[in-house]
Amino acid sequence: MDRRVIFSNKLLPYLLLAPQLAVTLVFFFWPAGQAIQMSVMEQDAFGLTKTFVGLANFKELFNDPEYLKTFWRTIIFSGAVAICALVPALLFALMAERVVRGATFYRTILVLPYAIAPAVAGVLWLFMFSPSVGIVAYWLKKLGIDWNPKLDGNDAMLLVIMAAAWKQISYNFLFFLAGLQSIPKALLEAASIDGAGEWRKFRTIIFPLLSPTTFFLLVVNIVYAFFDTFGIIDAVTSGGPAKATEVLVYKVYYDGVVALNLGTSSAQSVILMVIVILLTAVQFRYVEKKVHY
Amino acid sequence: MKFAMKIAALAVGSALSVSALAQNKPIEIQMWMGLTGLGGETLTKYGEEFNKMQSEYKVTVSFKGQYPEQRAAAVAAFRAGNPPHIMQMFDAGSGDMMGAKSAIVPVSDVFKRAGMQFNAADFIAPARGYYGTKDGSLLSMPFNVSTAVLFYNKDAFKKAGLDANKPPATWPELAAAAKKIKSTNAANCGFTTTWLAWIQLEQFGARHNIGLGTQSNGRAGLNSELNFASNPAFVKQVQTLVDMQKDKTFDYKGRSNDASASFQNGECAMITQSSGAMGGYVRDAKFDWGVAPLPYWPDAKGAPYATTVGGASLWVFNAPNRSAAEFKGVAKFLDYLRSMPVMTDWAKTTGFLPATNAAFKYLTDEGFYAQNPRAAVAISTLANGKQGEHTGGYRFGRWTEIRDFYHEEVEKALQGKQTAKEAVENAQKRGNAALRQFEKTASAS
Repeated sequence: MDRRVIFSNKLLPYLLLAPQLAVTLVFFFWPAGQAIQMSVMEQDAFGLTKTFVGLANFKELFNDPEYLKTFWRTIIFSGAVAICALVPALLFALMAERVVRGATFYRTILVLPYAIAPAVAGVLWLFMFSPSVGIVAYWLKKLGIDWNPKLDGNDAMLLVIMAAAWKQISYNFLFFLAGLQSIPKALLEAASIDGAGEWRKFRTIIFPLLSPTTFFLLVVNIVYAFFDTFGIIDAVTSGGPAKATEVLVYKVYYDGVVALNLGTSSAQSVILMVIVILLTAVQFRYVEKKVHY
Repeated sequence: MKFAMKIAALAVGSALSVSALAQNKPIEIQMWMGLTGLGGETLTKYGEEFNKMQSEYKVTVSFKGQYPEQRAAAVAAFRAGNPPHIMQMFDAGSGDMMGAKSAIVPVSDVFKRAGMQFNAADFIAPARGYYGTKDGSLLSMPFNVSTAVLFYNKDAFKKAGLDANKPPATWPELAAAAKKIKSTNAANCGFTTTWLAWIQLEQFGARHNIGLGTQSNGRAGLNSELNFASNPAFVKQVQTLVDMQKDKTFDYKGRSNDASASFQNGECAMITQSSGAMGGYVRDAKFDWGVAPLPYWPDAKGAPYATTVGGASLWVFNAPNRSAAEFKGVAKFLDYLRSMPVMTDWAKTTGFLPATNAAFKYLTDEGFYAQNPRAAVAISTLANGKQGEHTGGYRFGRWTEIRDFYHEEVEKALQGKQTAKEAVENAQKRGNAALRQFEKTASAS
């Protein structure tokens, strides 16, 4: 039986699609086109002069050791954020699953950080860890730990990783919890009857059955760390000290908005655009098709 | 029917009020500023006072983020064809503005077009040198003028057994004082600095009469090249900071104004800072403090020289849709800002220096500086200090970015990842690359 609905009017489907298409064109294709156009131009800050320079901006980028370092830094940052956001989230989800009394309360509390705007989250962490006024910095000093994210690049990196991961834990928690709840209880009970301990159940049943969720979250977290952590980094370190926390997205902002170097900045956004396209392709191809149990 | 009547009445009413407005609607003048706190509040107040004085123009002073962000917002607005009429731009942005010739109207011209008297010589010489052209006209109007000074915590000095009325005059004296303060636990850190590049590179250069680049520090041409790394004094200064950082007699507290809180809360006993911070410390610091001229190296030839101008000036944007009446309004408002009552009130309230000679003379005659010796320090190092070839300020394109190169490279040296010499050399190398790019795009305009 053919259940497709067929429009009798040839124009109607296009009309119905038009608003969505218009939004996509205006907010996605147009800026993207502008970015591509600007990436092959060299221009002054005020836009008074524009000269076509071909791929010179890209060449300059890939010949700049600082840019390549930013690439590595971004990979390390994203990996660390993903791990630091996934592991505690899984742990919390396992715990929350076992709680009987007040389960909703715990779950709500754990989800709260997700509602906080990135910049606000950044400022919270900034205050707690600020070497001059922060309470945690004060404790660290008491413990004899030399903590100064304003000067020490590793301290600064650690701080933005923690802040960025903290915000993402809630999101991951929700997905893990849903994943856990969809694991058939019969399997776990059977394992218990066979005498399997908690760890064994986790290793042989829960974790494999969660793997589609985990893989999906891994991709989402990496994308998050790549593109959505700008607010946190801007609030906490502004990319410093000495570029220690400057990731790709932040560099696009700095070069374009602060340094007003629009050609190089646009070239970087085009590179980022390519990365997003690749990541999306991976997600579609593997997450939605291959990972089945 | 009642509803339709109401709509009709509303329509007629609003049409009437629109036409009433059109008859004597004041001409809107937009001014963007980058000042926060006391300075921002005071400047906004001047706009409101100007509006009360006359009804032809309506000035709106708005805050669009601190200087770098505000600059970006103004550039974006210019590209969209609707920049603010007046923009307050900090010293580092001057080179960019001067390079964008068709984007701005020199203030001298703004006054000339409005048929108003404007004499560049009314402004204090250091500011005139910084914001003016060779033929003596001014490109922007100096407004909040400051320079770098040393603030020190007198209570901490006493606690450390130092003479609170004898602040360190030279860098070796400062290092010794910082050591004493740290070793006696009078404060957690001896010394810190705000505005690293502005103070330790630009002001430091002026204080020792050392240039930063060729072509009279960028003032004579866009083909200027930075050459400060060839002078060992800059390396020595960075090395001094690196050495002091090791035992925390110097503690780096971040870029821009970040370190200011560490002085204000008593953690650091000394800070090199903009004199414009004075108003804030008067209000908020809970200890006795003093001001001293920016330290220098006694072994440098002829030192100390004068420090150079910092702060910001007011730029007038050009735009295709700007009317002559609007420019006239701009001239009127700028005229108000440079008037004696505003200039003297500004200097007294905020701690910035008066931008005009007349206001300076008035304050001196009135005894303001005699009664406030702390406020007098900045003006004496800036205007009365020994002038040299390199004390008149700098004019490089993309200087905001080049300052950050310097910040980054010195931060790396402070982290121990490179030597002081490498830091200064790398900053110069990266700065020169930016200057060459600026030359290419600016000379095409």
